[in-house]
Amino acid sequence: MEFQRVFERVFAFEIAVASVVFALVLLGVVLAIFLSRKRSGDTRRRDSNKPLEIGYAVLLAGVAGVIVYVTASAHQEVQHGTTGYSVAEQRGATKVDVTAFQWCWEFQYPDTGRSVTGTCRDKNSGLPTLVVPTGQPVELRLRSSDVVHALWIPDKAIKMDVYPHHTNTLTVEFDEEGRWLGRCAEFCGPYHPSMHFWVRAVSPQEFQQFQQQGTVA
Amino acid sequence: MTAELAVAEERELPRDRSLRSWLGTTDHKRIALLITAVALLLLFVAGALALTMRLQLAQPDQEFVTNDGYNQLFTIHGSAMIYLVVTPLALAYGLYLVPLQVGAPNVAAPRTTMLGFWLYLFGSVAIFSGFLTSGGAAKEGWTAYTPLSTSEYSPGMGTDLWVLGTFVTTVGMILVGGTVLWTALLKRARGMTMLRMPVFSWSVVATNLMVIAAFPSLLFALGLIAVGRMTPGLFDSNLYNIGYQHLFWFFAHPVVYVMFFPFVGAVAEVLATFAQRRFFGYTITVLSLLAFAGLSMSVWGHHMFTTGLVSDDYYSLTSILLIVPAGIEYFAFLGTIIGARLRFQLPMLFALAFILQFLVGGITGIMVASPVLDYQMHDSYFVVGHFHYTLVAGSLFGLFAGLYFWFPKATGVMLGRGLGHAHFWLMMVGTNVTFLPMFWLGIAGMPRRVASYLPTDGFSTFNLIASIGAGILGLGMLAFAVNVVRSLTKRKERAAPDNPWRAHTLEWATSSPPPPLNFDDKHPIPPIRSYAPLLDLRREREP
Repeated sequence: MEFQRVFERVFAFEIAVASVVFALVLLGVVLAIFLSRKRSGDTRRRDSNKPLEIGYAVLLAGVAGVIVYVTASAHQEVQHGTTGYSVAEQRGATKVDVTAFQWCWEFQYPDTGRSVTGTCRDKNSGLPTLVVPTGQPVELRLRSSDVVHALWIPDKAIKMDVYPHHTNTLTVEFDEEGRWLGRCAEFCGPYHPSMHFWVRAVSPQEFQQFQQQGTVA
Repeated sequence: MTAELAVAEERELPRDRSLRSWLGTTDHKRIALLITAVALLLLFVAGALALTMRLQLAQPDQEFVTNDGYNQLFTIHGSAMIYLVVTPLALAYGLYLVPLQVGAPNVAAPRTTMLGFWLYLFGSVAIFSGFLTSGGAAKEGWTAYTPLSTSEYSPGMGTDLWVLGTFVTTVGMILVGGTVLWTALLKRARGMTMLRMPVFSWSVVATNLMVIAAFPSLLFALGLIAVGRMTPGLFDSNLYNIGYQHLFWFFAHPVVYVMFFPFVGAVAEVLATFAQRRFFGYTITVLSLLAFAGLSMSVWGHHMFTTGLVSDDYYSLTSILLIVPAGIEYFAFLGTIIGARLRFQLPMLFALAFILQFLVGGITGIMVASPVLDYQMHDSYFVVGHFHYTLVAGSLFGLFAGLYFWFPKATGVMLGRGLGHAHFWLMMVGTNVTFLPMFWLGIAGMPRRVASYLPTDGFSTFNLIASIGAGILGLGMLAFAVNVVRSLTKRKERAAPDNPWRAHTLEWATSSPPPPLNFDDKHPIPPIRSYAPLLDLRREREP
């Protein structure tokens, strides 16, 4: 899954940069503590070093520039292409109308009129399952019937807010078969903590069967 | 009566210590102490709410509090910490110290400032009184997103009181911030040019510029909720929902820096004092504070990456650019302490911990400023860990560095060392044990604002560690409370000299505590030739 791959790559990059920065500052503090001079009053020390300060500011701007470049180009990958947060109307995409409500989910397949919903009770009982085919684009059209929710599939690094009176559309694709937990990420009231769903990716044949019969083997 | 006569008369009056004189005071120091006292008290209340939450989350699937109760706990914890504790404390530090540091006898328009305190107190009472209503306190989170916060989804007095209290408090904060800004800009003593103001005063100028520019936006946002609570149907157009978020975050990002800058300033003063040298890189630090404040007004959309309705790349760019001013401040910090002879007294310990701990908050902030990372981290415990590192591991440590530093000045009493060390070490360990595991919880997929989780989620171990940490942190705060009470009862034994730390700025030239008009014949304003006038004076006397 593209979203997760891009996330992992940029996460690793930023953790590396962050570790270097933390190590340098830690070194500075440790150095200050151990170099702390025994004799008092170092009056002749400079209290400003303009060329050094300006050079350092330019260096920081360079670092910021590199991070902006890396993250902005990674952002393009998850926004555009065959799948992404800004992708809609892909050829051959399975469309799913996702409705979030206080406090569960409904998944409707406009192509066949099929619909799945649940109760989202405590301890993951009564969860609805979003069934999707593997290897094909799936267009999720998110809409809420009450307050703001957010669809989050942590294992796949996908998250998008779900609004009332507005549709957010994204296109995803699942490479492998499996089942993952989805959650509501935007606080939406008393039963927000149990507003989960399952995502189940099945082979295109099984998905056909689901579309016709409403069940998966 | 001429102003001079009034001044002379006031000088001769014995200090009035009655309650009435406090409640109607026009002395900036007393107003600041009133705000500080209320805010510190509420810090303990908000902390108790947090401990209750950590108790609930210590084990999976607990029913120690109900979902509804938990939602009230985190809403009031967050609201109290942001609106009623850290923001007022940040502004109160400025109110107490800026007139002293720039050599002014009082804050400009002290009655307006005092009105600010009363509004703040009234707002705090309103927000907390929600707990006494039948439906309980507000429970939509400190962000109160619409339409969840409308009367349709959150009926009840608790939310009404929250809207009222937050509005009134915010008006109070604008008054306090505005009058302090006025003082710094127009009431400075002779010789105190803008570029001789201490770094702390500059940090307060930058802070109050943000207060003036950003806080009114919250008033509009709250007004929108108020109208929505009376006119159901307003939010039937999503324009208003997303509009609310824009108005809210236009306030709520700068407020993060309002809760942070004065403590950067405090840490800067502490580092320079305990490194026994002039603060390094003064000019570029001042410039970076102002640039930081300016940029802070352009980054709000990074709280809205997952809405699908903002230009993520733009807000990502402005947010990541914050590396430059933040990096410069760190450079100045390290430049001040490296190669100097350090004294490891309590304010310095908090300041050194601030440097490293805030950095964790800062670099994780740069991480979530990247949309591809934020799509995963947003509204997860990663973000909870991130902003607690900025606000607790950062701001609160800076706050305590400043508190141990200026307590003797404000009260005339030194805080105890033994309990102070207990406070520091317990708080340092507790903070990291509490908030570090939250990053892993976020990565593991734990959403924020959930009252419980399942054993099968795999969140149990880190939550237990975090809860243990919260207990340690609580013990540290207890040590602090005992220390303050004990020190104040031992006034005689622990009397503070005028300048116990050999600090550099004007407030240390006057008595501890300072006289009503800050400087008098016995404590005149010394000549001001730089941002460290007392250091200049010492260098002249002890070449």
